[in-house]
Amino acid sequence: MPPIRDKFTIHSKAVVCQDVELKGDITIGAGTIVHPKATIFAIAGPIVIGAGCIIEEGVILVNRRVPSRLRLAFPHSSSSRKEVMRIGDDNIFEIGCRVECPSIGNFNTVSARARVHHTVRLSSYCVIGAACLVVPTEDEIVDEYTVIYGPAAERRIWSERGKIQEADLRKKHAEYLKEMLPKFNRLRRGDGT
Amino acid sequence: MDAPIYYSRAEYIETDTGNKVSRRATIAGPQNIILGGKTIIASGAIIRGDLRRTGPGHAVVISLGRYCLIGEGCVMRPPYKTYRGNFNYYPMKIGDHVHIGNGTIVEAATIGNHVEIGKNCIIGKFTIIKDCAKIADNTVIPPNTVVPALALFAGSPGQLVEDLPESTQEMVEAHTKGFYARFQPAAAER
Repeated sequence: MPPIRDKFTIHSKAVVCQDVELKGDITIGAGTIVHPKATIFAIAGPIVIGAGCIIEEGVILVNRRVPSRLRLAFPHSSSSRKEVMRIGDDNIFEIGCRVECPSIGNFNTVSARARVHHTVRLSSYCVIGAACLVVPTEDEIVDEYTVIYGPAAERRIWSERGKIQEADLRKKHAEYLKEMLPKFNRLRRGDGT
Repeated sequence: MDAPIYYSRAEYIETDTGNKVSRRATIAGPQNIILGGKTIIASGAIIRGDLRRTGPGHAVVISLGRYCLIGEGCVMRPPYKTYRGNFNYYPMKIGDHVHIGNGTIVEAATIGNHVEIGKNCIIGKFTIIKDCAKIADNTVIPPNTVVPALALFAGSPGQLVEDLPESTQEMVEAHTKGFYARFQPAAAER
C-alpha cells in the first residue's frame, strides 16, 4: 500500500472541531458537525460526507473496504480505482459508534456504540439501535425505513410516524451546534482556506 | 482497608476541594461544570459542558456531587430535545456518592445520590435514576426511563432485576469514601 496522503476538504459552513483525528482524503459537506474526539480514517479510499450530518464524540468512520473483484484480480497492486465511501445528508452518528459502510443514504441514525460492518450499505431513513452489531458475512443493502434494534439485532420497518418532527429536530440540532460549538471549541479548516 | 490505587501525580490535577481530574480527560466548557468536591475524573473521560442551554447569563450544564467517580473513557453529555419548537440542551444533575464505571455513556437528566453504574453502560437521554439504584455492567437504558430507588437494573433494554437491601446507602457511601481514600499519588514521586 502506498502511504496515505492527507487531503481534507471542509466546506466553509461545516463545523469540525480541532480535536478530531482525520486521515486520508476526506470531504466534509456544508453544515456538517464533527464533535471533538471523533475519528475519520480514509484508508482504502476517500470518504465523502454530505451536508447536515452530525458526528458525535468517539465516533469512528473508516473506509477500509477494498472492492472484492479488484482484490481478486490484483491481490498485490493498489488499484487507482479506489472505492469512495459516500455518506449522504442529514445522518446522525451518535457517541462511540463505528461505521464502515461503503455507502450511506440520507437521514439515517446510528445510535450510541452501534457497530456497522463494511459489508453493509445503508439506504435512507434507517435506524441502528444502541449497542447493535450489524456484521453480516455477505454484502447486504439495508432497505429504507429499516430499524435494527436490541442485542440480537432484530429488524422491523418504521411506520414513518413522526418523520417530520424527527427531521425538524435534527435540523434544529445541527443549527444549534453550528452556533454553539465554535464558542467553546477550536475549529479546523480545510486545506483550501 | 484494601490496597491503595496509585496514580501518577503528573497526570492528575487536584483542586482545593479535593477533586482529582485527569489531564487526559476531555473537558469542554469547564466554566459550566460544577464538581462538588472529592470527585475523581479518570483519564479518557469526555465531559461536555459546552452544550449549554441557550439564554442569557451563566448556565450550569453538568453538576456533580461529592465523592463521585467518572471512570476511564466515560462520556457525559447533557440531553437535548425540542420544547415548544425550540431546540435546547438541558442540564444534567448528579448527586453525591455516584460511581460510574469505565466506558459508560451517560445522557441522563438526573442521577440521585448513592448510585452505582457499571462498565460499558449506555444511559439514554432524559433518564432519571433515583437514589441508591444500581445499574449492572453492559446495561442499555433507553431514553426517558425512570429507574426507581433501590432497584438493580440490568440487560438490554435495562429492566428491574431485583430490589436492593436498605443498607445500600451505607454500603455505597463507605465504598465511595473508601475508594477516594485509596486513590492516592504514587509514592515514588513524592
